[in-house]
Amino acid sequence: MSTLHVLSHSPFADSRLSSCLRVLGSHDAILLCGDATYALTPSTTARQTLDANVGSLALFVLDEDAKARNLTLPDWVKSVDYPGFVALSVQYDKVNTWL
Amino acid sequence: MKFAIALYSPAHAPSSRRALLFAEAALAGGHEIVRLFFYQDGVHSASSNVVTPQDELDVPALWRDFVTQHQLDGVVCIAAGLRRGILNTQEAERYSRSAANLAEPWDLSGLGQLHDAVQAADRLICFGGP
Amino acid sequence: MPKSLLIISRQSPWSGPSAREALDIALAGGAFDLPLGMLFMDDGVLQLMPSQRASALQQKDISANLQALSMFGVEDLFACHTSLAERGLSPTELSVEPLQVLRDQDIAALIDRYDQVITI
Repeated sequence: MSTLHVLSHSPFADSRLSSCLRVLGSHDAILLCGDATYALTPSTTARQTLDANVGSLALFVLDEDAKARNLTLPDWVKSVDYPGFVALSVQYDKVNTWL
Repeated sequence: MKFAIALYSPAHAPSSRRALLFAEAALAGGHEIVRLFFYQDGVHSASSNVVTPQDELDVPALWRDFVTQHQLDGVVCIAAGLRRGILNTQEAERYSRSAANLAEPWDLSGLGQLHDAVQAADRLICFGGP
Repeated sequence: MPKSLLIISRQSPWSGPSAREALDIALAGGAFDLPLGMLFMDDGVLQLMPSQRASALQQKDISANLQALSMFGVEDLFACHTSLAERGLSPTELSVEPLQVLRDQDIAALIDRYDQVITI
């Protein structure tokens, strides 16, 4: 079984990203959207945490949110549009949005 | 695939628009939406009283049009709605409130409809927060 | 076979309606005999502190409903060990039982066991 975890809260004032990473399964993925995309900002603790998981974490970003925030994405993060978001929700067995 | 989509945030939250765009993409991709269920502050996304500045996106109107155009089942949780002052005509009369602010195409119903949608769908996807 | 649903409750009972509204999802599902589980995580574990007094805030007390979850057909109750430890709560002094306290890696396995999940 695999879960797509969806995060939209900024990682700087909120514990959802760190809680999500604690309970992430080995086949799971994370989709960052909204202010959660700030987790990819270079030289931040959030970014360092994600970098440390390269290779073991399937990480996706909603492209409109990265564009709005002028974020440069590392090449190991895959940017998706809405059809891509839908495809991910089909590909993974379930979706867990951290409301 | 059959989707159940639950929304927990009001129309001015980015996640309400995000849910709508996801729902549109799901239909465009040939999938089915079993039900839209608005819970917690999501009930505000169904308000017929939101007035949006002309240079901004009118998200409640877009939701209304989307549900109407595709003849979807759009359900607003009655308990969450009452608590937040989202009432249709029937409930406004029942509770002697001065106005109703929930109209077609939205139905007020209970959490049983969320569970029913979860059982009927292949995927449940929730939207809320920012 | 009905689909199973895990509800992950992450908010304190005093921060707004989320704790109550997560519980309502569980109770509604229990009323329909659906296979449900409820996990208390992050500030959600604060719902499990004993001897809280909702009346001091003129609020309805949800602890009675939490304690009655198993009677409403929701028997699979879990709490996150890390969240309890972070908040100085002992796993043996919680107001709801029976409840299984899980380590992080077991929570990943728990989520996997359910067909759907709502994290509220």
